[in-house]
Amino acid sequence: MGKHHRILLAKMGLDCHDTGIVIIAQLLRDHGYEVIYLGLHNSAEAVVRAALQENVDAVGISFLSGQHMTQMRLLMEALSRHQLDLPVLCGGVVPRDDADALAKLGVAEVFFPGTLGPDLIERVGRVLERQDHAA
Amino acid sequence: MPQSPHPAGKFPVTSGAGIEIKETYGPDDIADFDPARDLGKPGEFPFTRGPYQGMYRERVWTRRFQVGFGSPRESNERIKYLVDNGANGFVITIDLPTSYGFDSDDPIAQGEVGVTGVAISTLEDMEVLYDGFSPDALSYALSIRPPVSAVTLAMLAAVAEKKGVAFDKVIGTQQNDPFYQMSGGPLQTITQFFPLEGTLRLCADNIEFISTRMPRLNWMVTNGYNLRETGVNAIQDGAFTLGHAFNVFQMAQERGLDVNIFARRASFFLSASIDFFEEIAKFRAMRRIYAHTMKDIFGATNPECWRMRFSVQSAGNTLTTQQPEVNIVRAGVEALAAALGGAQSIHLCSYDEGHGLPTEASSRIALRTQQVVAYETGITRTVDPLAGSYFIENLTTQMEQAIRAKLAEIDALGGMFAAIRRGWLEEEINQARYQYQRDIDSGRRPLVGVNIFQVPQSEELPVAIHKIRADEWGAARGEYLRQWRQQRDHGKWSEAMAHIERAWRAGENMVPVLTHAVKNGVTMGECHKAMRAAQNWTIGGGGTL
Repeated sequence: MGKHHRILLAKMGLDCHDTGIVIIAQLLRDHGYEVIYLGLHNSAEAVVRAALQENVDAVGISFLSGQHMTQMRLLMEALSRHQLDLPVLCGGVVPRDDADALAKLGVAEVFFPGTLGPDLIERVGRVLERQDHAA
Repeated sequence: MPQSPHPAGKFPVTSGAGIEIKETYGPDDIADFDPARDLGKPGEFPFTRGPYQGMYRERVWTRRFQVGFGSPRESNERIKYLVDNGANGFVITIDLPTSYGFDSDDPIAQGEVGVTGVAISTLEDMEVLYDGFSPDALSYALSIRPPVSAVTLAMLAAVAEKKGVAFDKVIGTQQNDPFYQMSGGPLQTITQFFPLEGTLRLCADNIEFISTRMPRLNWMVTNGYNLRETGVNAIQDGAFTLGHAFNVFQMAQERGLDVNIFARRASFFLSASIDFFEEIAKFRAMRRIYAHTMKDIFGATNPECWRMRFSVQSAGNTLTTQQPEVNIVRAGVEALAAALGGAQSIHLCSYDEGHGLPTEASSRIALRTQQVVAYETGITRTVDPLAGSYFIENLTTQMEQAIRAKLAEIDALGGMFAAIRRGWLEEEINQARYQYQRDIDSGRRPLVGVNIFQVPQSEELPVAIHKIRADEWGAARGEYLRQWRQQRDHGKWSEAMAHIERAWRAGENMVPVLTHAVKNGVTMGECHKAMRAAQNWTIGGGGTL
């Protein structure tokens, strides 16, 4: 795999469904990633600040209750305000119709419910590989 | 990935919770079984066969319909439509800002107003929800936990007063579980915006108010559903749920309340998952443990306090995003388990919940599914039809023993509240939910459409998506609240705000105090602000919301 990668995971907004993101955190750790999980109720500013402090290679946010468009827009705006160019991953209960809109915002990958572990690991690996080459 | 995960002879022989299941069961498997002691009659101790004598023969379970989106007006119009179409009970879901005690115009509410449920910020909002209905005639189950449930209970009391309905005639349910309203286990969910001690005090205030002033109102002691949704198994589900309830009862007894009165209207909200017989056994075992504990440990002498009553929702975490129409079948099987387990009310998940919030059309299919179970299958004709089955009675007893063993573990930790505070519960949940995913990844837990029998994305049927109008709802609510704050009597408002702080510090029951406040224009968010101030507590700094 080469480089040792650090990934920041967080929940944003008031949604508190954390089963998915807690499972993903453990799954990534089991595959050699260093994961920093910020917990619930983070603002876009808080996520970006942590990403800067922790010098991470990617950011992953999970949603269940319909906030993904609002919160991802706020996050992408905050990232560009801080001129931070990181791949952003998004997962959870997200309608497929919204995948294009999220891609337009600049989201690198969207993981829908029912994604199996090996598939997720492979796709995260590809995103980071691209990022390593670009850097 | 295996298309057939279990080649001949390799079918899993353990239940979802790991109980070994034998090829056949016979008389030897229930050798110690004593029908008089272990079953009793339906509606009699130990209530294994159900809380009521006639069960569905006399009254089919309540087909609850979940409503709540956007503004109170939109939700009320939808309820009127549904009442005209035969729905007879409603779960009112609340949006996330309201769930945490924030007004719709609080900056924290951006993008969340009206999305997951209805926004309730003012007494007028609650009056609009009850427009055309009286709180002694239509039953709303408010899906809300303390501290917020103390304010919604106060609003309900104020609505009853305004409509001239005596408190002792008011019906419905106030979910009043201090810990598990929110899905998932993290303690952060319940400590981020209000101090935990204050939440527990309001939980006891509500129990006291309901048991002494609104005796027909149910209060929900435990939301076992959200707990189960994290991925814990049926044994953990039973033990954590009951352990939590018993701890709440202890708290009420310490407050000086009489178990023979407050426990009468206690009820539970449980999940019916897909492991069919295990779920039925879980429901039966939980009723038996509850009856014994209430009688023997809490010393309740009123038989009404021995019977465990619960509403059921089908398990959202058994739904798949892939081939979502198959979820209708899953919900149907789970409805059968709930009915054979003796539920008092059932709500089925909509098949599209893996894609987004349910639409009107998908909610209707969910209601129709359980109407088929209720009206076409004939399972309502006789009470507890599985009683006496070698397998079911054996499994019920095994579930009872396993749940009791787990309860003993919780007792050794000092009870459920202590177990939660020290992070033990969160650890149990995290292990269970990670294992759950690994079992799906490995194929040990077959999931049709996900790890077996998949179809390519191109063959998936299109799913209609519930349109979220968060920005529109947020803007309208913001304008409404601006006018509300402008038009209220400022003198009365500030007196009521000060009264909240004084009464909190004096240790008064807060429900009548909050009733006075909401009648004088104090909003949901302001009630919480005043209560936080009385505890010298502010929402955590740092970068969190």
